[in-house]
Amino acid sequence: MTLEATDVSHGYGNETVFDGVSLSVSTGEVVAIIGPSGVGKSTLLRLLALFDAPDRGTISYDGEDVWRQPEGRRLEHRRRIGMVFQDASLFDASVRRNAAYGLRVRQSWPERIRHGFAQLVGEQNGTGDAVEALETVGLADKVDQDADSLSGGEAQRVAFARALAYDPEILLLDEPTSDLDPRNTAVIEDAVLQARDRGIGVVVATHDMHQARRVADRTAVLLGDEILEVDRTERVFDDPRDDRTRQFIDGELIY
Amino acid sequence: MSLESAATVPLFAEFPFEWNYIRSIIVVSLYVSVAAVALSTLCSLPIALAVGFTDFRGKGLLTSIINTGMGFPSVVVGLAVLFTVSNEGPLGSLELVFTREAMIMSQFVLAAPVVTGVSLAAVSSVEQNVRDAAYAMGGTRLDVALVTIKEARYGIATAVLAGFGRAISEVGSVLIVGGNIASADGTSKTRTLTTAIQLEAQRGRFETAMILGVVLLAIVLVVNGIVVRLGSDGGGYR
Repeated sequence: MTLEATDVSHGYGNETVFDGVSLSVSTGEVVAIIGPSGVGKSTLLRLLALFDAPDRGTISYDGEDVWRQPEGRRLEHRRRIGMVFQDASLFDASVRRNAAYGLRVRQSWPERIRHGFAQLVGEQNGTGDAVEALETVGLADKVDQDADSLSGGEAQRVAFARALAYDPEILLLDEPTSDLDPRNTAVIEDAVLQARDRGIGVVVATHDMHQARRVADRTAVLLGDEILEVDRTERVFDDPRDDRTRQFIDGELIY
Repeated sequence: MSLESAATVPLFAEFPFEWNYIRSIIVVSLYVSVAAVALSTLCSLPIALAVGFTDFRGKGLLTSIINTGMGFPSVVVGLAVLFTVSNEGPLGSLELVFTREAMIMSQFVLAAPVVTGVSLAAVSSVEQNVRDAAYAMGGTRLDVALVTIKEARYGIATAVLAGFGRAISEVGSVLIVGGNIASADGTSKTRTLTTAIQLEAQRGRFETAMILGVVLLAIVLVVNGIVVRLGSDGGGYR
């Protein structure tokens, strides 16, 4: 399975964020997008998550141009993708309900109503996968707590579990650890590698180059309005082909 | 005042009110206000969600109109509804003049902008990130709307309460379209707590007016208490 952006340009109003960008991710690999803040990493991830259609170029899933498909088909594609934002963005609900959200929206309405009634009388059916995902991030013991009682790091781990619970083929992470302490960062990075080993394709947008080195099989460098290079992580860091990449990695580039 | 003269003051139990009369007034008041607010909520929530979710030209103007609607003078609304349901009006054939249904219509017009305006503020305060998260997890637009309603539930409950408060404590329009009528058996037909208080005070039956006033206050307090309880429940739906 491959999610691919081909020659994509996008902007807001008259402002172009990037122009002619191509990037792909396949199941079972981790791709990092590195670049300074504000360069458009989040915008690229939103395009890959099928939030918006690109101004030009194509987003395809397994060779199907997604934006040429009817909305129902696009929803099927969207449901094979998970996303974690920089901000945990948890719902005002219990940890279990947050983690099970993706599973719930995939149920038919009669099932959802039946589970809703079951929960009213205290039964917690059909949330096994959510609890399993919470175990991956070490928070299975917090399953019945309110989400707003969690620390920032725990909340982000729940957000990760929420995206993992419905077993996506592709997982998109937008600066998932930028506000976290080293311990929580390590938990998330470990979960990323576990997800890859389970065959999930992961894209991590980050400005933390060390993180890219730690988790990514391939790295794309987004600078200015283009991807300067994308290749195996060691090659990009140890032998950058573009001079601006080298300057960015060495911290010499002023932006 | 001597003890003898104090003993001649009428006791509470001797006040000239009739329970059946008061009970029927409470029933009519609750029926009309609850029906009006339920209808307002059904109409207002989709409007609040649609306006809150989308950007379009004239959004600011529409929001201003909704907010202006919160301050509609009730007698003017009553007059407009009375014209609408009168024989010459567009709904004249339905013969709704001086009926509870006409009162529901007028209270609907008064409550709907309040429910819409306060709901819109509540819905707009739900962070874009949370809506994005629902969408990114595979939610449809309906799922995102449901998440938004759940996130804004306390604000929406407040909106419904505010609409109910506006409806049940309003006197001008229900007086005009309902006529403050009691049936031949002495029970209320279109008489509400507010119009009855006005009438009883005019008649000089202050004790009955006071009882009705206390009942009205109690209803508003109970509804308010329920909403505060909802809001302080830890907020979480499990």
